[in-house]
Amino acid sequence: MPIVSSFEKLRLKFPGTKELLFEDLSLSFEKGEKVLLLGPSGCGKSTLLQALSGLIPNSIEVPLKYADCTYPDSWGFVFQDPDSQFCMPYADEEIAFVLENLQVPREQMPQRISELLSLVGLDLKDPHARINTFSGGMKQRLAIASVLALDPEVLFFDEPTAMLDPEGTIAIWETVKRIAADKTVIIVEHKIEHVIDFIDRIIVFDAAGTIIADGSPDEVFPSHQTEFEKYGIWFPGVWDQYQSTAVSIKTPDFPLKRKIVLENFTGFRNKQTKLRIQHAEAVSGDWIAVTGKNGAGKSTLLLSLIQLLKTSGTYQVNGRSIHSNKDISSEAGFVFQNPELQFVTNTVFDELAISFRQTHASQETMEKKVAELLQLFHLANQRELHPYQLSMGQKRRLSVATAIAKNPAILLLDEPTFGQDAKNTFAVLELLESYRLSGHIIIMATHDSHIIQHFATKVWNVVDGEVTVKEAEMSIPVEVGHAYLI
Amino acid sequence: MPISFDHKMTWLHKINPSVKLVVLACLFVAVLFIHNPNVMVLFAIGPAILFLFFTGHPFKRILLFSIPFLLIFLSTSSSMILFGKGETTLFHWGLIDITVESLYRGMHLGFRAIIYAMLGLTFALTTSQVLLFYSLMQQLKLNPKYAYSFMAGIRLIPIMIEELTAIRYARMVRGIQNTYTVSGIFSSIKGYSIPLLSQSIRRAYRIAVAMEAKRFTDSRKRTYYYQLHFSRYDLLFIAYFGLFLLLVLSISGHYPLFPVVDVRSL
Repeated sequence: MPIVSSFEKLRLKFPGTKELLFEDLSLSFEKGEKVLLLGPSGCGKSTLLQALSGLIPNSIEVPLKYADCTYPDSWGFVFQDPDSQFCMPYADEEIAFVLENLQVPREQMPQRISELLSLVGLDLKDPHARINTFSGGMKQRLAIASVLALDPEVLFFDEPTAMLDPEGTIAIWETVKRIAADKTVIIVEHKIEHVIDFIDRIIVFDAAGTIIADGSPDEVFPSHQTEFEKYGIWFPGVWDQYQSTAVSIKTPDFPLKRKIVLENFTGFRNKQTKLRIQHAEAVSGDWIAVTGKNGAGKSTLLLSLIQLLKTSGTYQVNGRSIHSNKDISSEAGFVFQNPELQFVTNTVFDELAISFRQTHASQETMEKKVAELLQLFHLANQRELHPYQLSMGQKRRLSVATAIAKNPAILLLDEPTFGQDAKNTFAVLELLESYRLSGHIIIMATHDSHIIQHFATKVWNVVDGEVTVKEAEMSIPVEVGHAYLI
Repeated sequence: MPISFDHKMTWLHKINPSVKLVVLACLFVAVLFIHNPNVMVLFAIGPAILFLFFTGHPFKRILLFSIPFLLIFLSTSSSMILFGKGETTLFHWGLIDITVESLYRGMHLGFRAIIYAMLGLTFALTTSQVLLFYSLMQQLKLNPKYAYSFMAGIRLIPIMIEELTAIRYARMVRGIQNTYTVSGIFSSIKGYSIPLLSQSIRRAYRIAVAMEAKRFTDSRKRTYYYQLHFSRYDLLFIAYFGLFLLLVLSISGHYPLFPVVDVRSL
């Protein structure tokens, strides 16, 4: 088979860093191969993808050196963030943008556009559809369609499903399997459950960007379990592994019983009813998983509970009626989906200290408490850094730390494990579990049926704003699209 | 939440956007040189007719959009009317000194502001931004690099609005109170702008890379999905304002509403 893409002795260095990212890395890809690149966060998988396509150094200026290389004749690149790869407001215009770049005659465009859209399963009534009304999964399929307009020989995917719900993830990989049978496909992905049966070669990197394994999935998976575990890669069966190492603790009795009661509770956005709860309760030691499709109202539920949205009906915490954000602010902490939007100060230390300064705690207590939190969340070495300088996992831990600094009875979290690798996910989940076991209530929006199975005590399922309460021990509401396939 | 303004298509939508832009730019300059209040007041009728009846938007929305511009009219004219210089006093009370001169000048300024507002709004309400940039590339030879950058930039605005809401919520949850001292306002501005900017800069950079990955280059050689031409509507638009201007000039000459012909020489 001819080689379509290769590097020999690749060296690459990011400006401002001391160490080389790759030191004499050599690898090559044959025509038609379906390759998965795995490795810990920050090992340079995405960078390698950009170098293989030529985006580095043509579009992204990073110095690199190599003895020899082959660039594919034609290639397409699908990026991670569905919101930052389009430049036009409408779906047809976005694909047309690519066709214009290729100087395709205008007369042929409408035909090509509808062909490409139906190829990726986006059967829009009118291709002139607003992209910002699309779900994440639809946006990524549009991205694939616009990349297919390039008629690529090689397709690069840089974590295309990191920001999607399970339904969108499945739709993406189904699409890729359909369209890429005869193409070379190189994929970087953390959530590998849905691609693994499509892949015929896996390359594993260590943290320094050196190849530690290269072969078919059947060879690589059994022999490299420990590395996968160490690097936080979502390998098949990672949850079974986790279950066997984790010590399961029954919910103990708590001396101080905390309780939330919701009765005929309604949440509004822009004066429209967006959320209804007939009756729901939560007590100390509850871990409530808020489930539902994207847009069903999970965030609305959390924002209603923290009283950032207008609500009506009964809402009591420990017998006290809650009517405004002031009533709840000392009782509840909130973790937003994007940690960066949650930071309000310039250092990790201040980020935690601010909660204690607000309560006018003494300098000593404050110092002591912050140090404890930093220790607990493994951020002690980062205390003087700006929150934005932290890694993805550190940012996530800090955002959780800021929410529990005041030791609130209730912790509300909006998909805190979104886009995190396995290591970070388990780190956050374990911190939350210990918080729950100390008698607090956790209410967390999540898509992940594994998290629900392993941690949740109750499930509040949201369908079109209507909340139904289910016991977690009973069968989990696994909608067709939400089921993991392994 | 997507913001959309559904509307009917009218002849104003069918005008070539570049023609519309150039005609309006000329009118902006022309209005600057109108010093005769008779002409100014009559001329305001022209844009008003288009703005009120031909944008294709529901009347309710038109009225809603008019509110801020009426405020501009009131504020620009009233400050001149109430505090302007003049000799023939009509009304005097404390600092307020309304004179005939200031009244004319104030009204004149107010009408100029409202003409600008109506022309600008009419343009905004009847022009699709995508078609505007396609037309600028095709008729006015704008470099595609800038045109597509602008279009990509416009896509970021609704995302930024969502992020702004998220930051506002986060600050409330974190117990950051907005204080209204100078340093307080400064720190709020910092609190909002740094995360917003950092997110937007990174997103803009990613979009740029994505655009290049889709083979967008510096080259001006490309085909266009939308081909824009000149049409009789362009002529109609030019003729509308041309004839209207002539009509206004002759009417104001023969039947002046006010005895003043130049607000500068009062």
